[in-house]
Amino acid sequence: MALAIPKIPDVLRLPKIAVDRRRALTAAGAVAAVIAVAFIGWTLHVGWTEDRQVAAFGGHVAASEADLARVSAKISSCISSRPEYPSVAESDTAMREFAAIAEYGRVVTAYHRQVIGADEVPEAYTGVQSAYIRALDHLNRAFSLWSSAAAAYDAKAYAAAKDHLAGADRAWKDYVAAIGDYDRELRIAEEGGEIPPA
Amino acid sequence: MEWKDIIPVLAGGLVILVVALVVKPALVGEPAVATPGPVLPAYVPPAPLPAATPFPEVGAAHTRTFRWTAIDGGVHTTEVRVPEALFLAHRETPRFADRLAWGRYALAEEDRPILADLARRIAPAGGNPEEEYFGLMNLIFFVQQIPYEPDNSTDSYIEGALPRHARPVKDGIEYPKYPAETLVDGKGDCEDSAILLAGLLDALGYDTVLLLYPDHMALGIRMDGFHPYYAKYTPKYFDYGGKHYYYVEGTTYYGGKVSADSPVLRGKPFPIGDTEDASFGSVKSGTPEIVPLHSIPAPAEYRIRPARLPAGGA
Repeated sequence: MALAIPKIPDVLRLPKIAVDRRRALTAAGAVAAVIAVAFIGWTLHVGWTEDRQVAAFGGHVAASEADLARVSAKISSCISSRPEYPSVAESDTAMREFAAIAEYGRVVTAYHRQVIGADEVPEAYTGVQSAYIRALDHLNRAFSLWSSAAAAYDAKAYAAAKDHLAGADRAWKDYVAAIGDYDRELRIAEEGGEIPPA
Repeated sequence: MEWKDIIPVLAGGLVILVVALVVKPALVGEPAVATPGPVLPAYVPPAPLPAATPFPEVGAAHTRTFRWTAIDGGVHTTEVRVPEALFLAHRETPRFADRLAWGRYALAEEDRPILADLARRIAPAGGNPEEEYFGLMNLIFFVQQIPYEPDNSTDSYIEGALPRHARPVKDGIEYPKYPAETLVDGKGDCEDSAILLAGLLDALGYDTVLLLYPDHMALGIRMDGFHPYYAKYTPKYFDYGGKHYYYVEGTTYYGGKVSADSPVLRGKPFPIGDTEDASFGSVKSGTPEIVPLHSIPAPAEYRIRPARLPAGGA
């Protein structure tokens, strides 16, 4: 038995469009213009957003550095003002000041670690941000160990105090290494290019 | 579509760009820095330590008379007066388990006036280095001749019983005495003598350290070159902080008793730097842990490295 394909009714056929070449070119031009404007706008917006993120991150790092400079000044003053042959009372006073600075350093590093850790940065700056956070973490650990050393000294556990200070020295060296990483990552992010081997 | 249809589209795009790039940043400020949630606490300086209350000179006191042979062979006597309240306060003070903290006993502020007075009487200020040296040796001989008595012996304490804060340790009892306690008890073991001698020498301005051996404690005195003509031994010293600290024995304990039926221990004076006649093997050949009296624990690393700021940072 032969099958017959039914005819499509006229109402379902597409109407013929009379194409005006001039209008078509104008429409295409308009679409191209919209796409160009959108592209340029998007590019400008992304660039502006990234600049803004870097500026915010830089502002937070600057604030952190300013606070760390204050901590540093207190540390230098505390260490350099220690008498060469302190009495017991002078030693106790110096260690109390040391404990207060350690606590201040601990809260300063914890605060800025939280602020900078919450920053959104462009992909090129993630290494920079990560290295700086690492540096703050090591510094925070060093200050915590200073606090432990001061507490041990207060309890007249001098051997434990020495051990805590030795641990703090190791954490401090890790901090210095992390700051080196930060500088390297920042140079790469600003100049572009591959990360050279450490 | 005419040009007139395209112009509104372009104008709309421009308006969006201007709003996004100019108007919004101008309104929110540039750069838009998020306000951090937590607040940075300020530096809190430590509260000053309360000043120690001096013990009154008047009132009950322990008076002790000491008799010793000085470096010139002459026998000397001297009297020491320790306020009862000071002695009892020391007896009621718990002892530090950590031997590294025992320098605090030697430098106890409350004992300082007694030690300064005693030291100056035994070793008056000399007009020349020889007199200084004889004074120093007199002070050392004075302490060395305080009878030796171990911590676990009740004879070491005027109460005839172990003090409340005597600490049981693996090898017996540990009770390091404040200098004033040693003077009142009139007896002590190696650490008591070393602490007393350190306190006396410190009162005269000598730089001393405690030398900790596993089974002994002695003193180190800072001297720049010590080559006595009479010495038949090589004076022993230890380096600490680039300084030479010569060994000083605080007791005359020499091992054994003078006779089988006598409770008296044998002894002899030890000059500065003499470790060859020591009765402890650790002193003869070992290296002690050095405990400075005047020292504040300090980290080796404390310098904060300034970090370069990202371009655009404040």
